[in-house]
Amino acid sequence: MTVCARAMNQTPVSCIPNSRMSKAKKVIDEARENQNPELDLADKGISTFEEMPGLLNMLQITRLTLSHNKLQVVPPGLANLINLEILNLFNNHITELPISLSQMPKLRILNVGMNRLDSLPRGFGAFPVLEVLDLTYNNLSEENLPGNFFMMETLRALYLADNDFEYLPPEIGQLKNLQILVLRENDLIELPKEIGELTRLRELHIQGNRLTVLPPEIGNLDLVSNKAVFRMEFNPWVTPIGDQLQVGISHVIDYIRSETYRYLYNRHLSAKGPPPPIENDKSKKISRAR
Amino acid sequence: MARNSDTLPFPTSISIQSLDHSKLYNRRAQSRENLVEKEITNDSNSNQSTFVYDYEELAEWKGFDKPPKLPPRNFKNAYCDTNDLKKQTTNKTGVTGMSLDDMFCSRCREGFEPHEKIVNSRGELWHPQCFVCAQCFRPFPEGIFYEFEGRKYCEHDFHVLFAPCCGKCGEFVIGRVIKAMNANWHPGCFRCEECSGELAETGFMKCQGRALCHTCNARIKAGALGKHICHQCHGIIDDKPLRFRGEVYHPYHFNCTACGIELNADAREVRSRPGFAANEMNELYCLRCHDKMGIPICGACRRPIEERVVTALGKHWHVEHFVCAKCEKPFLGHRHYEKKGLAYCETHYHQLFGNLCFVCNQVIAGDVFTALNKAWCVHHFACAFCDQKMNQKTKFFEFDLKPACKKCYEKFPQELKRRMRRMYDLNPKKIPA
Ligand SMILES: [Zn+2]
Ligand SMILES: [Zn+2]
Ligand SMILES: [Zn+2]
Ligand SMILES: [Zn+2]
Ligand SMILES: [Zn+2]
Ligand SMILES: [Zn+2]
Ligand SMILES: [Zn+2]
Ligand SMILES: [Zn+2]
Repeated sequence: MTVCARAMNQTPVSCIPNSRMSKAKKVIDEARENQNPELDLADKGISTFEEMPGLLNMLQITRLTLSHNKLQVVPPGLANLINLEILNLFNNHITELPISLSQMPKLRILNVGMNRLDSLPRGFGAFPVLEVLDLTYNNLSEENLPGNFFMMETLRALYLADNDFEYLPPEIGQLKNLQILVLRENDLIELPKEIGELTRLRELHIQGNRLTVLPPEIGNLDLVSNKAVFRMEFNPWVTPIGDQLQVGISHVIDYIRSETYRYLYNRHLSAKGPPPPIENDKSKKISRAR
Repeated sequence: MARNSDTLPFPTSISIQSLDHSKLYNRRAQSRENLVEKEITNDSNSNQSTFVYDYEELAEWKGFDKPPKLPPRNFKNAYCDTNDLKKQTTNKTGVTGMSLDDMFCSRCREGFEPHEKIVNSRGELWHPQCFVCAQCFRPFPEGIFYEFEGRKYCEHDFHVLFAPCCGKCGEFVIGRVIKAMNANWHPGCFRCEECSGELAETGFMKCQGRALCHTCNARIKAGALGKHICHQCHGIIDDKPLRFRGEVYHPYHFNCTACGIELNADAREVRSRPGFAANEMNELYCLRCHDKMGIPICGACRRPIEERVVTALGKHWHVEHFVCAKCEKPFLGHRHYEKKGLAYCETHYHQLFGNLCFVCNQVIAGDVFTALNKAWCVHHFACAFCDQKMNQKTKFFEFDLKPACKKCYEKFPQELKRRMRRMYDLNPKKIPA
């Protein structure tokens, strides 16, 4: 009955565990029968992996989707699925991940967005081929990233929106293949100049933070072509940047590439005042639920 | 051993001399680069002549030296009697009306008795006792004589009076004479005093009164001076030698493998197969290029990169040499796309290979879904949150430029949807519904 009790604080669901179990089991059995390598178990009210008997032996599967369930724990044995390329755990109740995941040899896309992660395990950055990592809407900050986080050189998209970062480590510059970096609605006070080393970046989302200036190195990036998106609204920008933003992103980029701005930026850094106050109210985030 | 009497048996002006006596050689030496001039000037204060020749020059020189070939002549036919002569003059020489009264000996100017033996040589007639050597007055042994300035000599006296003696073996030199070192030589007797190699064909060098082949001359000279001999030109290496593949050379015979500049003694031999004992792959670099070997070599022009290095496709490149494989324009720091070991500019990559699917990261062969600054293959266009497949008719919401199906969007917490709406209100045109 624990399953039913936990379900109560979410949308009302049927309180008949047996039927729910059989729902997941049915999908798994079908997939096993059809040799289907893609397993869709989204929104099945699943609370534990025990409700999916035999899943961890289905070595043939390449995609496992478990979004919109109530999983709290991911068993280390999930890493047995050595052919898995896509693992979607979006919108569960996960508070920690097993380190074994980072050993999965073919995992290219990992979505752990909208969970309750307060930290990532030590050594998490060891994924050999990870390309897309979605950590949106958790409780992560620079304080609880593992040391090797920015060793994931194969990453082409990193989603960190709706977390609690105040500073982005300068090691971000190591992610040479990064094309998409999403930092929307964190508590960022400043950005490291190393962002300017991400030469392949074509999507940068930094809206809704506490940023006042941009490192001039961002001017090195190609963020104004028709293949690029740069979102920077809802920050307490210094007046010249705010004024340029009124007319458009391309004006901001032109401005931060100017000598005038370089001078202003250096002066701003030396006359460092207190950071702007936190404005985002995160108390209602479901990732905070305990 | 017959010698014609009407031509000199050997050319008188043939001599083999140091090549600096040759007009041809001097003309060529002057027109040549400093390589030859340098060697000449180095020796200008000594009386030892150094020379350089090439095969073309040698051939001309040999042609000049060849003695003319003469047809042999049977001198025994010169003896006949007056009757034979009459017949001969009538029938063969076409001389008509000739009688014994008109004939006289070329030497004593007396007439001939009937039936007396007469010697006839090219229309001139002699008493046999008058047809003798101008020096010893004896008949010519076996009828062989030599003629010089209108007089006839037996072989012995001709040699004594006119033919040169070989400076080596003391025998007469008949045929080709080598005049050199103030003496005459049989070609086979004029040899290098060090190695005994024949010099007639190769030329020689005078070294302290001795005739030497150029190899021995260089060796002796170098040995005396404690210097090396160039393995290529056999000349003495006056300055510092260049060691290369186990031999020593004048550095100026080589050019730098990288920049092509003529080398000096500072050049470096680079072992191109480290760890291999064999040195036939070794190459030479000038000091400048060698110093740059530690820094990367451009994958396009193979030259060292002094300025900014671009590292891509597993190689290093000059910024201006890292170019699109299609249009050959340098990327100059702009984004490039790699495909099968080649790099392309964005335009040509997409032109050639199309878009990459956001999910599978593969080039999209068939239909492309383009939205939210991304592209998807038909197989992978799906909600980013539940992985449900979508098509062009599916309504979806944008969340950080990822597509969210309606069902997923509705599951988003209220507080998030409120924030999303705030963003949308600010910039509605950017967010497709
Ligand atoms: Zn005589
Ligand atoms: Zn001789
Ligand atoms: Zn030489
Ligand atoms: Zn040389
Ligand atoms: Zn180059
Ligand atoms: Zn191109
Ligand atoms: Zn795809
Ligand atoms: Zn969905």
